[in-house]
Amino acid sequence: MSKVQNTVNTETVSGNDMDKQTFYSRYIEKTHTIGRITSIVTLAMLIGSPFAIGAVLHAMPDLGAFARALLGIGLVYLISCIAEYLIYVPMLGAGGSYLAFITGNLINMKIPCAVNARDIVGAKSGTPENEIISTLSIATSSLVTILVLAVGVVLLIPLQPFLQSPVLRPAFDNVVPALFGAMACKYYRGNLKIAVVPLLLMTVLFTLVPSLTGSTSFMIIPSGAVAIGLAYLFFRKEQKS
Amino acid sequence: MDILKILNSPAIYLICGSIVLFVAVVCVVFAVRAYRAGCAIGMDTAKMKRAIISSATFAVLPSVGILLGVIALSGSLGTPWPWLRLSVIGALHYETQVAEAAAEAAGISGLSASSMTPQAFTTIALLMSVCIMWGMVFAILTCKRYTKRLTAQSSSEPDAPAADAASDAADPAAAAPKKKSAFAGFGDKAMTAMFIGLVSTYIGSYIGELVSGEGILAFAGSALPLLVALVGAAAMGLFLWIREKKKAAWVDSFSIAGSMLIAMAAAVLFGRIL
Repeated sequence: MSKVQNTVNTETVSGNDMDKQTFYSRYIEKTHTIGRITSIVTLAMLIGSPFAIGAVLHAMPDLGAFARALLGIGLVYLISCIAEYLIYVPMLGAGGSYLAFITGNLINMKIPCAVNARDIVGAKSGTPENEIISTLSIATSSLVTILVLAVGVVLLIPLQPFLQSPVLRPAFDNVVPALFGAMACKYYRGNLKIAVVPLLLMTVLFTLVPSLTGSTSFMIIPSGAVAIGLAYLFFRKEQKS
Repeated sequence: MDILKILNSPAIYLICGSIVLFVAVVCVVFAVRAYRAGCAIGMDTAKMKRAIISSATFAVLPSVGILLGVIALSGSLGTPWPWLRLSVIGALHYETQVAEAAAEAAGISGLSASSMTPQAFTTIALLMSVCIMWGMVFAILTCKRYTKRLTAQSSSEPDAPAADAASDAADPAAAAPKKKSAFAGFGDKAMTAMFIGLVSTYIGSYIGELVSGEGILAFAGSALPLLVALVGAAAMGLFLWIREKKKAAWVDSFSIAGSMLIAMAAAVLFGRIL
């Protein structure tokens, strides 16, 4: 009787397991569909909005000036966007990626926020847990930003003198260093062997070529590549031993 | 009529506000779907709630910083457009640079309300929209293939995706005898390494700014970003110590935002001293 019961339990568990995997595969498929549709609609709205505003103001964009500026600065951002896309999609999964690229503010909020949430719950990269947690994290942080900005815009006039006071200015000028300092402590801890080389490399590069400061986001690529290379070397060494 | 009055008119608010509202609805849809999917595959709801709370607390301070970006740009572009840009797709780092470059291309003497014209504004707005749209374009075109390839790579690892949260919740024993591959477990380490690379780039740039910001090896650049980063790191160290020594896991939800707040407060102090 107990053998029969065990067989039934095993089959039920396998059945549940299969159901969950099928459900998850469908969820991912639908996420891609919704992500694509919402991205296309958002893109159309964003590109359409200057023309809509132009119709209101009776002043359509100067396409010649637009093309000139696009050739200059647009290429820089194209390369930066390619790098960000290649780097961040593996961290964020499907749902998180669509949302993050729609809502922006990746480096200063979405990525650290998603990584922090992932660490808090102990989700591993590439797992369904990571996919769900990243999506929840980015959706939540985006909604908080939208809410804070909406409230801020409503309160903009009375708040402006306080927030723009020279006393508080250094605080808000240094949000990003404050963030990366905290994240450095968190990630260097226990990974010093990996962190030393990219940190030294970047310090030397930014010291000897100060103009690179204007291309900090591009420098993430060599720094990340070095860190990943070292992580792989240590990983193989650990496996062998 | 004053250009800022035109740029702050209800019609512009309506255009920008409707896009912000649409994106807010998209966020809600993604969040609800993810939460339901998490429940369906057997994820711990307490973990999901912790992720939501930590993300909400984490986002408050950077959002205030982003709001300051809106305020900074509102003097030349009006309030609704910077509000839209920084609520959707934009990034605090990029917007001012692109707006400035677009203003130059549009033939006005920089980003200021005094020289702004309606056509210069719409040209700037179009360039800001197009310059930073590529992430979304790549996501539309390749995200499905890219994530499938990543999943296929990591499915050869013992921490395989669909076989993890889903199957482990149903049968933890089933996860045990998985085959080890050469890349077993490396995916997660690679992501941590990538983040170390990212943080190192910025910390390196702060050191470079101090040492060579005013001339190579002149040691006359601004020390403020580096000092703020150091205070942020020290504060995070303190939070981690409290978490471990006092076994206070809840600290995790506030450690990043708390560290940032302490570091930003220190920036005010350093700003007065330096």
